[in-house]
Amino acid sequence: MSETPSRGFWAEAWARLVRKPLAVGALCFVGLLAAVAVLAPAIAGTKPVLCRYKGRIYAPCLGYFHRSLEPAIFARDRFRGTYPQNLRDKDPESWAIWPLVFQDPYRAVRENEWPGRPANPAKGDGHPNRLNLFGTDQYGVDVFAKMVHGTTIALLVGVVSMGLAATIGILVGAAGGYFGGWVDMLSSRVTEVVMCVPPLVLILAFIAILEKPTIWHTMAILGATGWTGIARLTRGEFLRLRQSEFVMAARAAGAGPLRIILRHVLPNALAPVLVPVTFGIASAILAETSLSFLGFGPPPPSASWGSLLNDARSNLSMWWLVVFPGTAIFLTVLAYNLVGEGLQEATDPRLREARK
Amino acid sequence: MGTYLARRLLLGLLTLVAITFIVYGLARNMPGTPLTVQLGESDPSRKLNPEDQERMQRIYGLDRPWPEGYVRWLGNVLRGDLGRSLSRKQPVTTLIRERIGPTLLVSGTAFLLAWTLAIPLGLFASARSGRPEERALSLLLYVLYSFPTFVAALFLQIIFAVRLQGTAWGLPLFGMTDLPPDAGTAARALDVARHAVLPIVCQTYVSLAYDSRFIKANMEEAVRQDYIRTARAKGAGPARVLVHHAFRNTLIPLVTLLGLSLPGLIGGSVIIEQIFTWPGMGRLFFESIRERDYPTIMGLTLLFSLLTLAGQLLADLLYCVVDPRVSVE
Repeated sequence: MSETPSRGFWAEAWARLVRKPLAVGALCFVGLLAAVAVLAPAIAGTKPVLCRYKGRIYAPCLGYFHRSLEPAIFARDRFRGTYPQNLRDKDPESWAIWPLVFQDPYRAVRENEWPGRPANPAKGDGHPNRLNLFGTDQYGVDVFAKMVHGTTIALLVGVVSMGLAATIGILVGAAGGYFGGWVDMLSSRVTEVVMCVPPLVLILAFIAILEKPTIWHTMAILGATGWTGIARLTRGEFLRLRQSEFVMAARAAGAGPLRIILRHVLPNALAPVLVPVTFGIASAILAETSLSFLGFGPPPPSASWGSLLNDARSNLSMWWLVVFPGTAIFLTVLAYNLVGEGLQEATDPRLREARK
Repeated sequence: MGTYLARRLLLGLLTLVAITFIVYGLARNMPGTPLTVQLGESDPSRKLNPEDQERMQRIYGLDRPWPEGYVRWLGNVLRGDLGRSLSRKQPVTTLIRERIGPTLLVSGTAFLLAWTLAIPLGLFASARSGRPEERALSLLLYVLYSFPTFVAALFLQIIFAVRLQGTAWGLPLFGMTDLPPDAGTAARALDVARHAVLPIVCQTYVSLAYDSRFIKANMEEAVRQDYIRTARAKGAGPARVLVHHAFRNTLIPLVTLLGLSLPGLIGGSVIIEQIFTWPGMGRLFFESIRERDYPTIMGLTLLFSLLTLAGQLLADLLYCVVDPRVSVE
């Protein structure tokens, strides 16, 4: 594997990418977002990252990822989600490492929940302040905590839906481009039909048939409608590459079609396909936030950036409800677009020659 | 040419049937029917009793399985009848006719504005390629291009409709007009124009950023060609080379883009019209999905798909008109 020629190509593309400050900055920003997404419960939350309770060590913050990951002992001991007081009362020996910001994305922090701290302000009084960095919403829920936890959703949507779209697109495009004939005819027609559907019409119609749409449904729908561009590109690349000498050589050596497609053609077709995938991540994030903004997102307790903006619509005088999530969406989309553009310039030989 | 057109039209027809079939199936399987969603939401006491509901369902044909309903809808469409809206008690064609004007007012103005600005900007950027002013312009356009419309719309609403309210710069938050229907024509036009400013700005900046980047990308490709060197060598001035030799050759992809923007022009933007409660086509579609108003959903889906297909066909045909080298096989 280490001797394949494609490695040299990728290393060279990487070297070219790194020379572009904007692309590097964008890449760093995406990395930062990924870190925030993974570490969200440790950045903002009301559950300890790690705590020692009745002689054992627990990580209750995992409960933010999924309910079932929260250790059952805290439910048995009737903590009801408020840890600081309960930990001290029920086990004086206990200690805990708390998240950086003691705020919850799903509810307002009450008075003295953290010793000596006031309750979160609500109903338009929650200007950004020392305790609520990005202010609080109508009900007193901290916007910073909501946004930190919303990062997970935003990135997941981008990666999962585009992963799905890339899989479908590459499969359809590769089959059509490699086999040609009626397979190509069929796959091209299917691609054309899906391409002709106005995307929002189909997405809205799909989401509306679900009684309780979750974020996973949105991802599936975005993936199932966003693969056409990738399929066309893959088909073009495969059409070009299947005539090449190395494919002929592989075929002469007795490789089957599946092996040729996966091991020989696909690695060589991957670079141009990666570009629309990166742009696709940006547009998937944009689509999900727009859907949540229109009220077609996952139901209330989730903290999608788009639903934050939707809340802001009825409280426009609370500017912080618009400015922070809006800027986050904008920067994320911009970063993915910049990475996509950087990739395009780093991997496309035609654009390279253009530089004087 | 004839066979090409025939093949495209036939394929387009099949696509239309496939799309409308899928959307009809989806619409009929959405939870709730127009009868339950509409009445139950506004007032639980106005919920229909079971007998009434059954009677109404029979009248509207909702008691039949949906494939049968689809065939009936298709038959009516072929006879030129899009049906009557269930929630608005009006023919769908009347609804569309009412909504198309407001949408065109916003999208048409935005379209013209965007192109009149995009062409000079794109040409300027390619003439100054690589210089600091071009870098700054390109970066600005890139930032605009990545700026989500609904975020921009909210920012603009906060600035002009909330912060600056009451000053000379204040603009209305949403709607198309605040005046009663009997107001004078001039006052009405002015009021509508004031309401239209923010939606138009939102729709313009996105296409402006996209179009000028598109023009610049194509120009960069064109100026590298041999005929540009020839034109320079024979002594043509830089402006003439740029416009007559380079830009004329980028018209082909431009024309394609024009064709592809046709559906957006008439279909409007769901999000912008929704934010500014602008009574256009996009908002009608959104509302009809919410109200489970099957005939309107279907009428609009048919129209949007038809426009998308027509735009693509138009783009391909214009291709041959603009560039005699291209011929359809």
